[in-house]
Amino acid sequence: MEKNDKIIRIKNLIASYDGNTVLDGIDLDIKKGEIFVILGSSGGGKTTLLKHIIGLLKPVHGTIEVFGKDILSMEHYEFDTILKKVGVLFQGGALINSMEVWENVAVPLEQHSDLSLDVIKEVVKYKLGLVKLGHAYSLLPSELSGGMKKRVALARAIALDPEILFFDEPSAGLDPITAAELDNLILNLKEKMGITLVVVTHELESIKRIADRIVYLQKGKNIFCGTIEEAKKAGIDEVDRFFGWA
Amino acid sequence: MSDQSSKYRIVVDGSFTKFDIGNMKKKIENQKRGDSDIIIDLSGANKFDSLSVAFCSKLESDRSVRLIKSPELESEIADFNQTAGSDKAETPEPDFTEKLVLAFYGLFYHIRDFIILAADIFYFSFVSVISSKGRKKGSVYEQINLIGNNAVPIVFLLSFLIGLILSLQSAAQLRQFGANIFLVDLIVIAMITEMGPMITAVIVAGRSGSAIAAEISTMKITEELDALKVMALNPLKYVVAPKMLAMTLSLPALTIMANLVGIFGGFIIAVLYLDLSPNIFFDRAVDVMSLNFWGQSILKSVLFSWLIVIIGSHYGFRVKGGAEGVGKATTASVVASIFAVIMTDAFLSLIFYFEF
Repeated sequence: MEKNDKIIRIKNLIASYDGNTVLDGIDLDIKKGEIFVILGSSGGGKTTLLKHIIGLLKPVHGTIEVFGKDILSMEHYEFDTILKKVGVLFQGGALINSMEVWENVAVPLEQHSDLSLDVIKEVVKYKLGLVKLGHAYSLLPSELSGGMKKRVALARAIALDPEILFFDEPSAGLDPITAAELDNLILNLKEKMGITLVVVTHELESIKRIADRIVYLQKGKNIFCGTIEEAKKAGIDEVDRFFGWA
Repeated sequence: MSDQSSKYRIVVDGSFTKFDIGNMKKKIENQKRGDSDIIIDLSGANKFDSLSVAFCSKLESDRSVRLIKSPELESEIADFNQTAGSDKAETPEPDFTEKLVLAFYGLFYHIRDFIILAADIFYFSFVSVISSKGRKKGSVYEQINLIGNNAVPIVFLLSFLIGLILSLQSAAQLRQFGANIFLVDLIVIAMITEMGPMITAVIVAGRSGSAIAAEISTMKITEELDALKVMALNPLKYVVAPKMLAMTLSLPALTIMANLVGIFGGFIIAVLYLDLSPNIFFDRAVDVMSLNFWGQSILKSVLFSWLIVIIGSHYGFRVKGGAEGVGKATTASVVASIFAVIMTDAFLSLIFYFEF
C-alpha cells in the first residue's frame, strides 16, 4: 500500500437521530499514515461521524470503506477482523471500572492474541511505559486523574498495534501541559509506528500541533477538507472564525 | 425598588430585579384577595434582570393585572421572548388517542426488545459454554462467588426462619386435630415445591438482579460497552454470559440448600413443639420427598435464574440519562424480576398441580 493510499473512504454519508439529520451527505477520504482531524462547532456531527466509522452507529444512507472494504455490508465476524486492526480512545477513557489498569490494557491482548499471561503482562508494562504510566499498573480507574485515564485508555487502544487509531476529544478537560504531552504521544505514535490517526477535537492548539489534514463539519455538512494552509487560503467564513483568522 | 402604592396601584421606580419579585407577588396576592383591579406601574423602572423580565412577561398574560411598561422593559420582554422561543421545538402536545397509540408502540417495542435480548443471551451463553473465547478468563467462577457463595448466609438464615415460622403456625392448627405427623408432609412439600425456590429467587433478584442492572447500565453510560464493541468483543458474551452461566448453576444450588434448611426449621418445631421423635420426622420426610418434587423445585429455580439475568440485563441495556437513570433501571429490574418470579411460580404450580 502506498503512503497516500486511502485507508478510509466515506461516500454520501447521511445519518439521523430521531428524524433530525445529523450528517448530511459527507464525502471524505483519509490517507494512510496521516493525522486527520475532524473539527467543527458543538453539535456539528463530529463524534457521530467517528461513531459511524467505527461501526457503533448505522447510517441511513451512504458507504464507509475501511481498509478498502465496505463495513456496512459485511458480516459481524468480518467487521471484527477490521476492529482488531483499529484502536479507539473514548472521550472519558471508557476504562472498565471493576478492573485494574493492567487488566484493562490486557483485555484486547487476552481476547485476540495467543500470548500466555506472563507475556501479556510484559506487553502491558511496555504499553504503559509508552504512555509513561508504568507506576499505575495495579491501580483502579477510580484512583486515576482524568489525564491518566486517557493515557491508560490510549495504552489499551494501542495494545494490539493497530493500523488506525481514533481519538474522541483527547485533550478535552485536560490542562494545557497534559494536553501538549498527549499531543506529543500522538505524534510519537505516528512517527514510530506509522499509525493513521483520526482525531475529533476543537482544541485549537492541539489541531495546529498535530493535524496533517482537517475536515470542518457544520450542521452535519462537510464545508472544508484539506490542510491548515489550504484552510487559510480557502476564505470560508466559518473556518476563518474558528481559527481566529477572521 | 421604591414603592409609592395607592390602593390599586403598585408603582416601581429605578431597579426591579429578582430580589423584588417575592415582595411584588405578595402585594399582588393581597390585592387579588380584596377583589380589586391591580395596576402595576413600571414606567419609571429602568433596571431589570432576566428573572424579573420573565416575571413581567408572565404578568402580561394575567387578566386581573394591568402592566404599565417602560420602553426599556418593553424591549427587554421582546428580547426575552424572542430568545426563549428561538430554539423551541414545535412539538404539539399529543392528544389522548395519540398517547394511547404511543404507549402501545412503547410496550410493543419493550416486549420485542426483551425477546430479542433473551434469544441473544441464550445464544451467547450457549456459545460461551462451548468456547470460552470472548469472555474474561475466570469470570464464571468470579460470578458464582458473587451470586452464589456470597448469598449463602442470607439464604440460609431466611429459609430457616421461613421453615420455622411456617411450621409453627401450621403446628398450632394440626395439633388440634391430632394430625401432628402431617406437619412433615406440609413442610417438606411447601419448602421444596414453593417456598424454597421462590424465597431464594426473590433474595437473589434483590441482591444480584439489581447488581446486574446497575453494572450494565453504568457500563453503558460510561461508554464501557462501546469500548468492548470496538475491541471486537460482544458485551453479551463478555459481560452477560458469565452471569447467566453462574446464575444457572448458583440459584438451583442455593434453592436445594434453602429447601433442606427450611425443612430443618420444621424439624425443630416438630421435635420441640409437637414432640415428634427425630426418627419419625426423618422417616416420614424421606417418604414424602419424591424426585418429582425435587424436579419441580430445580426446574423452577433454573427458570427463575434465567428471568433474573435477562430482566436485569434488559433494564441495564435500556438505560437513559446519568446516575438517575441507573437508579431507575435498578429499581425497575428488581420490581420486574420479583413480579416475573412470582407470576411464573404461580403458573408453574398450577400446571404441576393438575398434571402430576
